[in-house]
Amino acid sequence: MKSGTLLHRQVHPGFIQNGKISSQAFRPTPKDENKLSVYNGDMITAEKAYYHFCKQLNYSSAGVMSVTQAECASQSLPIGEDKIPFPEHCHINFEGLAKSQIEKKAKFLKNYAESRGWQFRPE
Amino acid sequence: MTEVLDFLCPRLVGKRFEEHAVPLEVLKDFAALEEMMTEVAKWHYRKEHPTRERLPKGFTEGISIKLKSLEDGSVMPKFVLVVAASLAGLLPSENQQCFEKARESIISAVDAAEHSENITTHLPDSMLGYFDKIGRSLNDDEYIEFRPTNPLRPAKLNKETRKKLVLASSQTQFYTEDIQIKGIIPEADQGKSSFTIELIDGARILAQLDDVHSEIIMGAFNKYKKQQRISVKGIAKYNRYGSIQKIESIEYVNLIDELDISDRLEDISKLKDGWLDGKGIAPSADGLKWLDETFGVSYESSLPLPHLYPTAEGGIQAEWTLNDWEISLDIDIASKIADFQGVNLKTGEEEEGIYDLSKKETWDAINSAIRNKAGVLA
Repeated sequence: MKSGTLLHRQVHPGFIQNGKISSQAFRPTPKDENKLSVYNGDMITAEKAYYHFCKQLNYSSAGVMSVTQAECASQSLPIGEDKIPFPEHCHINFEGLAKSQIEKKAKFLKNYAESRGWQFRPE
Repeated sequence: MTEVLDFLCPRLVGKRFEEHAVPLEVLKDFAALEEMMTEVAKWHYRKEHPTRERLPKGFTEGISIKLKSLEDGSVMPKFVLVVAASLAGLLPSENQQCFEKARESIISAVDAAEHSENITTHLPDSMLGYFDKIGRSLNDDEYIEFRPTNPLRPAKLNKETRKKLVLASSQTQFYTEDIQIKGIIPEADQGKSSFTIELIDGARILAQLDDVHSEIIMGAFNKYKKQQRISVKGIAKYNRYGSIQKIESIEYVNLIDELDISDRLEDISKLKDGWLDGKGIAPSADGLKWLDETFGVSYESSLPLPHLYPTAEGGIQAEWTLNDWEISLDIDIASKIADFQGVNLKTGEEEEGIYDLSKKETWDAINSAIRNKAGVLA
């Protein structure tokens, strides 16, 4: 994975209001074991990741926003290329951080992603 | 000289009547009741004199129903029958008797509706349509007791009994109800003076485009792609099966701010458990109601509104982007405790706090923080 590799994050429709996304879109819940699921942009495009998420996994997404590996590194967030449960799967690792630190880093990630804009939105 | 006779003293029950006052729109219902009372009195006269082709000249002249006072203790408007001196005598005049019979017939019909009994034994088909105008202004939690002194059979008129009364007539295909809805405007036809409002569930309702409200409605129509929502209060026409047919008249229209707190919380209230791809607890209705009221009262109206999002844990997260600051208030709507965090994305500066939103001083601190970050003068 390169520093510029895009990490595609599916944004749940509940985390959008009037086109503005919530920092929650980039914050793992405790049930996620503090690992935020993303797609490896070196292996799959944002559009294909969207359709994989919605059609094959049958989950809800309003579109895809992305951060880079370097942006995660700037927040001291390591990337895990776990390839589970599918080969393109990665996670941004928030393990060991307090809740307030997770929220703070999520705000930065959201800001990076918003600056980049939507990588894919369905018609 | 006139004779003033006690005639009717119903009891109004509901939150709006708790301050011993009657909203003006409820008085419209009583104006319609007088109209009905007069027609039912005429019906009684004709029933008792089947061979007479016409009513006696001046049958309804010199007799009227007037609101005299609001009785103490609860909201009980006292209506009197005012009879002109020329009609007053030792014995009640025939038209006075017909008005009193009309009163009893109407009350008995309401009582029959409340107890699911036969309504048309008290009033004919042709009279039941008047109930379309009586009680229309009542809210879900409100009712009128026409026999308040009879606890077993108080003759309660509420939304449900009113609908039964209107639809008991075989002549009635439609009924009307006050309605307050929110939606966007996909269509407006100035030639036909009509527009369509699209509700959040996608249903579309036709409405009349009148001069008074056309500016706001056309403004919302022009912002359809931006999903500009409006709130409409008016009178809607329903068929016998309860399907809305159209909005007959509009009382007022308001543009809804795109970040309107109540509007957003209403949307969030529709979430069910599992909303977040199988995870995600739906926020409680009581918690959302509290938050809506609290925000309305405690958050300064001059400050920028936050975006609101549900949280996986059943709470609400309010978020502001103010200059270089990203601010969040993660609210547990059950405990009313919130985590505040502000982060300056340029400097990394951070502010945090845990707030009890049931306390006024907490809101003073939140208002102050937002005002400061937004650069709003106090």
